[in-house]
Amino acid sequence: MKKIITYCLLLASYCSFAQQTEGFVTFEYKYYWTKVNSRLTFLSKEEKDRMKLTWGNYEDGPGTKMKLIFNDKQSIYTYFSDQGQSEDGRYSWRQSDYVIYRNFDQQKLVENHEMLGKTYLVEDSLMTYNWRIQNQIKDVAGYVCMKAETFDPIKNQKITAWFAQDIPVSAGPERYFGLPGLILELDVNDGDVVVTAQKVELKNVDKELVLPKMKGKKIKNTDYDQLLQKHIAESIKAQRNPYWSLRY
Amino acid sequence: MLKLLLGAFLCFCMSLAYAQTPTRFQIQGITADTASAPLGSATVMLLQRKDSSLVNFTRSNDKGAFSIRNVKRGDYLLKVSYVGFIPFQQDIVFSDKEVIDLGTLKMKAITKELFEVVIKTARAPLSIKGDTIEYNAASFKVPPGSTVEDLLRKLPGVQVDQDGNINAQGQQVQKVTVDGKRFFGNDPKMATKNLPADAISKVQIFNDKSEQSKVTGVEDGKKEKTVNLELKDGFKKGGFGKITAGGGLDGNGSAGPRGEIKGNYNKFDDKNQFSIIGLTNNTNQTGMSWDDYQDFRGSSSLNQWNDNGDFGFGGGGGIIISIGGGGDDDGGISIPVGGGNGRGYSNNIAGGINYNYNTKKVKTNASYYYNSNRQVLDAVRNRETFLQNGTFKTAEESSQINFLGNHRLAFRHDQTIDSLNTLLFTNNSRYNVGDTRLGSLQQLFKNNTFKSNETTINNGTNVNKIETANTLIYRLMFKQKKGRSFAVSASYNFTNNDGIADQRSVNLFYNATDPNDVLRRVLDLTNNTGSTVSQIKSSLLFVEPFAKRFFWESFLNLSHRSDNVDRDVFDLAKDSGKRSPVDSLSSFYKNNYNYARVGSSIRYSFKGLNFSAGLAVQSFQIDGQFARGQEPTSFLNINRTFTTWLPNASLNYDLKNNRYLWSAYNVNVNQPSTRDLQPIIDNSNPLFIRQGNPDLLPSTNHNVNFGYNMFNPASFMNINVNLFYSYNVNQVIYNQQVDPNTLITVTKPINISGGQSLGSYVGFGFPLKKTKATMNLNFNPNFSKNLTPINGVMNQTNTNSYRFGTRLDLTPGDNFTFFANANWSISDTKYSINTTQNQQIVNHTYGGTMNIRLPKDFFINSNFNYQIYINKRFGFNQQVPVLNASIYKILGKAKKAEVRLSLYDAFNRNLGVSQFANQNYVSQERVQTLARYYMLSFTYNMRGMNTNIKRRGGFF
Repeated sequence: MKKIITYCLLLASYCSFAQQTEGFVTFEYKYYWTKVNSRLTFLSKEEKDRMKLTWGNYEDGPGTKMKLIFNDKQSIYTYFSDQGQSEDGRYSWRQSDYVIYRNFDQQKLVENHEMLGKTYLVEDSLMTYNWRIQNQIKDVAGYVCMKAETFDPIKNQKITAWFAQDIPVSAGPERYFGLPGLILELDVNDGDVVVTAQKVELKNVDKELVLPKMKGKKIKNTDYDQLLQKHIAESIKAQRNPYWSLRY
Repeated sequence: MLKLLLGAFLCFCMSLAYAQTPTRFQIQGITADTASAPLGSATVMLLQRKDSSLVNFTRSNDKGAFSIRNVKRGDYLLKVSYVGFIPFQQDIVFSDKEVIDLGTLKMKAITKELFEVVIKTARAPLSIKGDTIEYNAASFKVPPGSTVEDLLRKLPGVQVDQDGNINAQGQQVQKVTVDGKRFFGNDPKMATKNLPADAISKVQIFNDKSEQSKVTGVEDGKKEKTVNLELKDGFKKGGFGKITAGGGLDGNGSAGPRGEIKGNYNKFDDKNQFSIIGLTNNTNQTGMSWDDYQDFRGSSSLNQWNDNGDFGFGGGGGIIISIGGGGDDDGGISIPVGGGNGRGYSNNIAGGINYNYNTKKVKTNASYYYNSNRQVLDAVRNRETFLQNGTFKTAEESSQINFLGNHRLAFRHDQTIDSLNTLLFTNNSRYNVGDTRLGSLQQLFKNNTFKSNETTINNGTNVNKIETANTLIYRLMFKQKKGRSFAVSASYNFTNNDGIADQRSVNLFYNATDPNDVLRRVLDLTNNTGSTVSQIKSSLLFVEPFAKRFFWESFLNLSHRSDNVDRDVFDLAKDSGKRSPVDSLSSFYKNNYNYARVGSSIRYSFKGLNFSAGLAVQSFQIDGQFARGQEPTSFLNINRTFTTWLPNASLNYDLKNNRYLWSAYNVNVNQPSTRDLQPIIDNSNPLFIRQGNPDLLPSTNHNVNFGYNMFNPASFMNINVNLFYSYNVNQVIYNQQVDPNTLITVTKPINISGGQSLGSYVGFGFPLKKTKATMNLNFNPNFSKNLTPINGVMNQTNTNSYRFGTRLDLTPGDNFTFFANANWSISDTKYSINTTQNQQIVNHTYGGTMNIRLPKDFFINSNFNYQIYINKRFGFNQQVPVLNASIYKILGKAKKAEVRLSLYDAFNRNLGVSQFANQNYVSQERVQTLARYYMLSFTYNMRGMNTNIKRRGGFF
């Protein structure tokens, strides 16, 4: 009986949601820093093992909540709350400025990054990702998603995205987009960072889908890439973790 | 007109040309299920065939029809996906027609069972190979201890019969592989029956080529049903270890050969961490290094706020702060870390075993650690004491042997009962035995020339001590309201200390006018002291979010402590070797302390601005009984209650671009110790007699600090500013009365207000040339004022010190690095009573570390440290240059072994000199200390030696 109900609900969800192309997604961003640090080439095996044994069991806590507001023309991705909080809420910290705006209609992007000790405002036309569609499907937040992969040559990251088959919108979390369906899960370098949709609300978001006022040094996509490339190379050479003040 | 016609003609020709061999194509079709019913809104993707790159995509309309226009000729694959159906794919074949009609694309539905159970319920990914499906079962729940076979039974479409034969999708499974490799031969049941289910992250069931076709490379069309088990990443078990052994000779030929052996071994998987460590040496390395400690304790090497059951201001958090063991050499009840290069000569033995068990809900740790240290200290000390009218000097030569052996047990269990309830139990225990032998000759000189006293001391002690500390903490978060929480703790601490102290001394008192008038006093005492301290504590914490961004935090601490000390002193000199009780020195006391503190604070927290302010009141009650003698009948009672108000405030502000600001005000209260409160006279040192004061009040210490910190990760620049001020109220100061004739000092604790200090630390680090040269500068001024009454007159000591430090890191390449540092410090001490005693102490330190990588895995490391102390008033100019150097070669392809030849203290100048100026005396001490020695050592590290010659901080 339960099965039948689930199936009916499922079927119902296809029908009613099939044409919905706007909504609000809550993501959880989880950063596994012992995995990230294990990629630092200058650390010895001994140092990596030490780090994993000491800290590895303390990474189960909740991640950071993010939000994606989208319709078929544009999307905004940023922190769910502009403050970070301890689990009990008694201690807070500020979140770095981080707003990713995509306009698929006008083929343009606006990004606000607080990184490397400065705040930048990237305004440029949309880049394209070379997505490779994979033969795998799975369920994310109640939506059947298909797997796609791409590669970030700047940060040397393998990106895996799971996009919903029945939300025909090209938006996605972080800086990623451009698939036939909404990206509901993103995995960087096989689990270094996992961004997973917790809740998908398909509804009218005209009120929320407004670009906030942003300040920062205006740069283009190529400047952004160059900044990162230079910083990562310098940091590795100086045996520092490049990702202290840079989103992984 | 002609032009227009021509244009039109050209256009026509061109379009004709295109029509013949079109360069842009249109792909169209209809998406439907196997019964040809159209599937609307299916995702249609055009992919590059070689790597599945997405070229273009569209959606089919209500009738299932789709078309993709403007497609260039290429090698494509068309892929259609629809929820609940197996994705369809087909190669695109180009002809000379502009429109490529694929007709009706019939999609197969995913079986209902698979869809519901695997995708929807287990949320396991499905892999599609052609028109068959493989599934990765990550989250099929099986009870703990289940085998893979039990897991397989849970999977839809899989049957396991009684004999363990597996049937998947109607076919017998021929092969079971683990991480793609065969598992113990051909029997597929071997792996499924033996491997635990919780070791598996994925189960893949698919059709593999037959072995025959794999070997021959000829496709025989036969497929074997195969189950592949992928092991969990973390489950991949590990083990590593390291051993170092070395031996060498003393360079100064005085104290014999030097040697060290140390080793550790770890074994771990995703839940269990097991480790052992052992070390022994006579090179003054008293304990393991911080790295060794971290390897030994694994996940338990973190100190946690959580473990502290004494809730107070800002307390009760659950933030992991630091890696740590015991800070000081002794380490107290926790394992000592670091230490070494101490004074004298020491022989050390240590060893331990540690086990951690970690799951999401349970974190358990148990460890045992033993360490012993035998230290030989031969010292020469000089001390000058300033009186109102003149000075006297104390000269001492002593020889001391200390032994201390510690057994430590630690246990910690952290249980997450559910998302709202947690329970934590910790136990730390120590048993130690120690003995000391001290022989000393002390001489007192009045006005620098006249020898007034001479004391020959021959003391020995034996100590046996047991301590244990146990804490249970329960925390509850409330579901109804985020941020509301409650915690309760209970602790029991117990210490038992049994000691025997033998004091033998011969005291000679000379008369200034008549050299023959010598007063001789012989002391031969033995003290038997037994003491127990037991304490029961309990604390409550309640946090209530009473408005948006505001919390109200309240705490209550209660404690009852009971001390029992029985000290029996016998005189052996009085009646030639017979033990005659000395009632004047024997004592018995029993003290009960009751402590209660209640406090409340308001916390504001929003967007990185965290502020809290509060007030607590504490009551401290002493109920003591004291009696002299060995069989006391009457007791002296001390009954005091102290009440103190404790304000508290703190601010943390997280600013943009990695800048942080903080400030805090707090008050520390120290209760007077019972020893200080009771009118006991302690004359264990006949020249330095201590007296108690029953009128003492608790001392309070007000602290204010402020800090700012910023770093720029792009420019590698950082700035650090700290300011701190402290003011003492009712500070317990030992009032000194010196008898001008006998020079016997009698001290008595009294309360004095007004001692204060103001200090600052400013640090600045920046690269001179990025990645190659980094400079760090710091400045640390400190001003303090201390009050000490001497023979009834208040003396004020002002000490102003200025320290300036700099560090230069040169890392030009991978083959050479050099790190230099220099510190200059000046400390000016001024006395109000005897201004002629004012002095200036200068301390300079220069250091350098150089690493060179030579060809063939040879390395050179050298370390130079040059310390200069200057105290002009005493004509003191001490220069200690210590140079250590070693050359080592890393052996083997895997770089797991190392042979090292080291030279310590090449100039043989590690003299163990220290000096100290305070209140009304200055002292200098010189301890014979381990200096130059050579050592040849061999290290084997299973994880490989570190060949990195750059130096990093503790975190990356």
